[in-house]
Amino acid sequence: MSGLLIERPLPHGGRLVERVIEDKRVARKIWKSCNAVYEIKPTLHYETGVPVRNVYREIMSICYGFFSPVEGSMKQAEVERVLKERRLLNEWIFPYPLVFDISKDDLNKLGVEVGDRLGLTLKGKPFAILDIEEIYEIDPEELAYKTFGDPETNPEVVQQKFDKKHPGWVIYRSHQPYVLAGKYTIINPPKFKPPFDRFWFPPRKSREEFEKRGWRTVINHQTRNVPHVGHEFLMKCAAFTGDVEPCPGILVNAVIGVKRRGDYPDEAIVEAHEAVNKYGYIKPERHLVSIVLWDMRYGNPLESLLHGIIRQNMGCTHHMFGRDHAAVGEYYDKFATQILWTKGIPSFGFPAPPTDVPYGLKIRPQNMREFSYCPTCKEMAYSETCGHKREKLSGSFLRGMVAEGVQPPSIIMRPEVYRVVVKWWKQFGYPFCNEKYVINKEKELEVDLEDL
Amino acid sequence: MAYFMVVLLDDNRMGKLRGTGLEEHIKYMFGGELRLLEVEVTEELKDKILAEFETARVDSRGAITDVPVAFMRELFNQVVEKKSLGPEVVEGVLAKINEIKEMAAKESEYLPPPDIE
Ligand SMILES: [Zn+2]
Repeated sequence: MSGLLIERPLPHGGRLVERVIEDKRVARKIWKSCNAVYEIKPTLHYETGVPVRNVYREIMSICYGFFSPVEGSMKQAEVERVLKERRLLNEWIFPYPLVFDISKDDLNKLGVEVGDRLGLTLKGKPFAILDIEEIYEIDPEELAYKTFGDPETNPEVVQQKFDKKHPGWVIYRSHQPYVLAGKYTIINPPKFKPPFDRFWFPPRKSREEFEKRGWRTVINHQTRNVPHVGHEFLMKCAAFTGDVEPCPGILVNAVIGVKRRGDYPDEAIVEAHEAVNKYGYIKPERHLVSIVLWDMRYGNPLESLLHGIIRQNMGCTHHMFGRDHAAVGEYYDKFATQILWTKGIPSFGFPAPPTDVPYGLKIRPQNMREFSYCPTCKEMAYSETCGHKREKLSGSFLRGMVAEGVQPPSIIMRPEVYRVVVKWWKQFGYPFCNEKYVINKEKELEVDLEDL
Repeated sequence: MAYFMVVLLDDNRMGKLRGTGLEEHIKYMFGGELRLLEVEVTEELKDKILAEFETARVDSRGAITDVPVAFMRELFNQVVEKKSLGPEVVEGVLAKINEIKEMAAKESEYLPPPDIE
């Protein structure tokens, strides 16, 4: 093979983690061996009580291999290493602590100890098991600060001390103080509800799908938004990267999890992206929409690292990163993600980019700026290419237009995408996520479970 | 500074605008694909809007933005009713301020979807 051709990378850590038991007979036997059973609860905001996370999403993403090589709830030494060097105990890089946290009351009620097997139910049905290897206490506030960094320790990219206005910080701050560490195994795979079911491509399946489609190289587009034409052009043009030919595959991977008020509903996001290929703006042979379960931590460069891991595990060769990637507020430098992938961030354990350190990533970053309409070029133009004054489109302008019930022109939002937005607007009585949607979503979740 | 508010126009609104004589004032963005009207707002009316709606703000061009959706919908209705882009349009909106505030309070729960399909 020519040295110019890029090969599909192995999963992060060298092999895909798969901890899902499909055989019900085996599963029932395992379930019977549990020492105690615990119903998974949403993590509630430490002050307001609004749901901010559900650990079931982490269990799903771990057991289906999105977070390979992570296999479970992290032990204390591993959490400490992740916070200090962003590495797991097996050396592979990883950005965030992931733990199964419970309250002191629940711990006492369960009466479990190291060596026990805890059965986890979800919506009242058997879901997974946790083989307990360690039980320890955490200080949620300290965990929250250490997870995201601070201006003194991480002066390269952190501009502002984290606080309760940051939704990721709130997630860690709202953790319960006891951690049960150990491997998870799903023993009753949940069934995704429509429309999510047709977008579920966990790493083994997405890799098979890429093979089937002959996608030698695949570039990922991270999303938690309904696509406007600017996004569509990012996808189209970023795909011209690749090796001797543009990437034949564009993977849209939507992060599905707890929503913030004002986001578009997840149902609208996935179907709106699907509309981009269904109506030929990018032909379906070249474009695939998929999901991953994760309650976004908005850790900008750290989040981009997790995104790189997820998409490498899914089999992508390239990953688009934009300015302010997965950011909220001004806690991080706008270009923190670009800095990570071009130079590294030494204080986070990266003296070089994550692709150039031992036990690092193989996926190739493609740092992108933005597209907007140029009345002189008469086209959607790239900010770093077009030398004219362009008509920039802010997200809030577009949202205002949608809220007012005015259909955006097709150079801003494709009519088929808008129709999807309106379809779910009619369903929920609101074009964006309001409090009712957020609370209901966390109660109903994206999945249902059958009896075991 | 001259103040104004932007009224966005889609096909549906264009239909309602026909015959008002306002078509010649339509401005275009995005290669002619986005049509809009600018409604004049006096200093006094601007102050009143800012005082009545806490989210409202004035951008660098003098455009008043971030008012409730109910306000923006009524703004268009008044343009059609008054067949004008003058200050009497915003006056007409503010005359219904109680009704708008009542609807605005419900806006975080419900927004009427557009009538398509
Ligand atoms: Zn240009």
